[in-house]
Amino acid sequence: MAQDHILTVPAKAKTSPLAKFPAEVRDAHARFLLTRDADALDTVVLAIVRDHQPPAVRAHTPAVPADSARLMEDLGFDSLALAEIVFFIEDLYQVSVSNDDLMTIPTVGALRAFVRNKIALAPLPSHAS
Amino acid sequence: MSRSVLITGLGFVTSIGNDAATVSANLREGRHGMAVHPLCDNPNIAVKVVAPVRDFAVDSPSWRDWTWPERYELPRETLRSLAPHGVYAFCAFEQALADAGLIRADLGDGATGLFCASAGSALMLHHNLAQAHANQFERGNPMGVVSSIAGTLNFNLAAHYGITGAVAGFVSACASSSHAVGYAVDEIRLGRQERMIIVGAEELNADTLLPFAPMRALSVNPDPASASRPFDSARDGFVGTGGSVVLILEEASLARRRGAAAYAEIVGWGQASDGHSVATSHPDGAGLRNAMQRALRDAGVSPAQIDYVNAHATSTPIGDRAEAVALRSVFTEAGARPVVSSTKGLTGHGLSMAGAMEAAFCALALREGWMPGNPHLVHADNSCDGLNLPRETLSVAPSLVLNNSSGFGGSNVCHVLRRA
Repeated sequence: MAQDHILTVPAKAKTSPLAKFPAEVRDAHARFLLTRDADALDTVVLAIVRDHQPPAVRAHTPAVPADSARLMEDLGFDSLALAEIVFFIEDLYQVSVSNDDLMTIPTVGALRAFVRNKIALAPLPSHAS
Repeated sequence: MSRSVLITGLGFVTSIGNDAATVSANLREGRHGMAVHPLCDNPNIAVKVVAPVRDFAVDSPSWRDWTWPERYELPRETLRSLAPHGVYAFCAFEQALADAGLIRADLGDGATGLFCASAGSALMLHHNLAQAHANQFERGNPMGVVSSIAGTLNFNLAAHYGITGAVAGFVSACASSSHAVGYAVDEIRLGRQERMIIVGAEELNADTLLPFAPMRALSVNPDPASASRPFDSARDGFVGTGGSVVLILEEASLARRRGAAAYAEIVGWGQASDGHSVATSHPDGAGLRNAMQRALRDAGVSPAQIDYVNAHATSTPIGDRAEAVALRSVFTEAGARPVVSSTKGLTGHGLSMAGAMEAAFCALALREGWMPGNPHLVHADNSCDGLNLPRETLSVAPSLVLNNSSGFGGSNVCHVLRRA
């Protein structure tokens, strides 16, 4: 497909989405990229969930929420925030999540499982960073 | 009109200061906000001088990278859908609320409205579309639309502050926030709203400013002390700026009941179009002349009663000349000689934000009793013959002032303000 109409991404745009996350999260991300360690991926996903959580609800939520915790009812996400989490993961790992997929992840456990299936088991694109 | 409109709160994030006291001091002392600050890494770009906002870093398209003064508590739920200039607007809004003695809970009773003006965020739009093109529209930021299109200010601020009255955005380029002020005055006069909040904001980055370069509208003068010199015969274009200014307007009886101190009263406004060119002023300033006359008529005052005119003059050769001709037509030919200055010589040109910013400057001048000068003016253009263009700020209290704005397509908007 002809690509010459494509706009150029501004040069300043590409800092890592995880740049402001704790060092252990960035380390886990780097470890996953090297080793495909699914536990390391879990660490990153849970940090992303926590980062996107409304602060008022986060203050009353365990640092590692239970797999049964519901993203909207228990963790305070609205549908846009949920879409933001998914976009963050899409952007980080260069994958696409459909609306149908989105409807299958109501809980933290479902999200962890979904990401493992979608990313850890899929071939890693060379440009994910 | 039996209902009158008072300005009871102001907020500033500008190139000449991020609070009213600093802005006022810099206007009175003629200190400009310009700096040599290239907007992209290309030495071939002739535009070297801009008027940046200090103490904010919002150059990145990712809100995670942004910083702003710590005294403002900007929650993540709001931040995630803002454009960079929305950060300026939030901080100016917080200032204006505090200045007016209001809190967020005062804004949700349906009697308060919000009119905003910005061009949207070219930076965010460019970034989001570039991402979308790169992945062939398979994915994108869910906040991409509301953080980038014109209207981003009103979407975000109305939601954050729980404003349930009239909410809208105005798009008439450099007259946008002056339209917002004018129509807000009407909302209150007509009894539709008791309080209106006006927000003007713009970004200063390559995406917003440098597209004006091919129009030859930007100054290429590399000297920050003279790049913006409205009405000067050597002017060569405008100097861009960003930031945000917020005004709170209240019906006078509401302001009195609350014990709110007023900066000024807005006693009239008017607008007219050139009907002439998409991008340049009518050579006789015909639309601006008509807008001034309509504003004066609406306010019920004569040209001779106006003490000060805050001119739109951006320092472009064509625009300043047209405004000078229009001012002579309205004032000089009527035997009136108000003080005229363009504060863009100090601030740079804030595009959609300019009209609200300068209405706020007029409010400061009316309350504090001074009239800003033209400190960068050396040789006035011969089109200015007969106009009173002092270089220094005058420590003389004006009673009535006129605030001019003009935008693309020949939109012209003028406000008349009176000492409260």
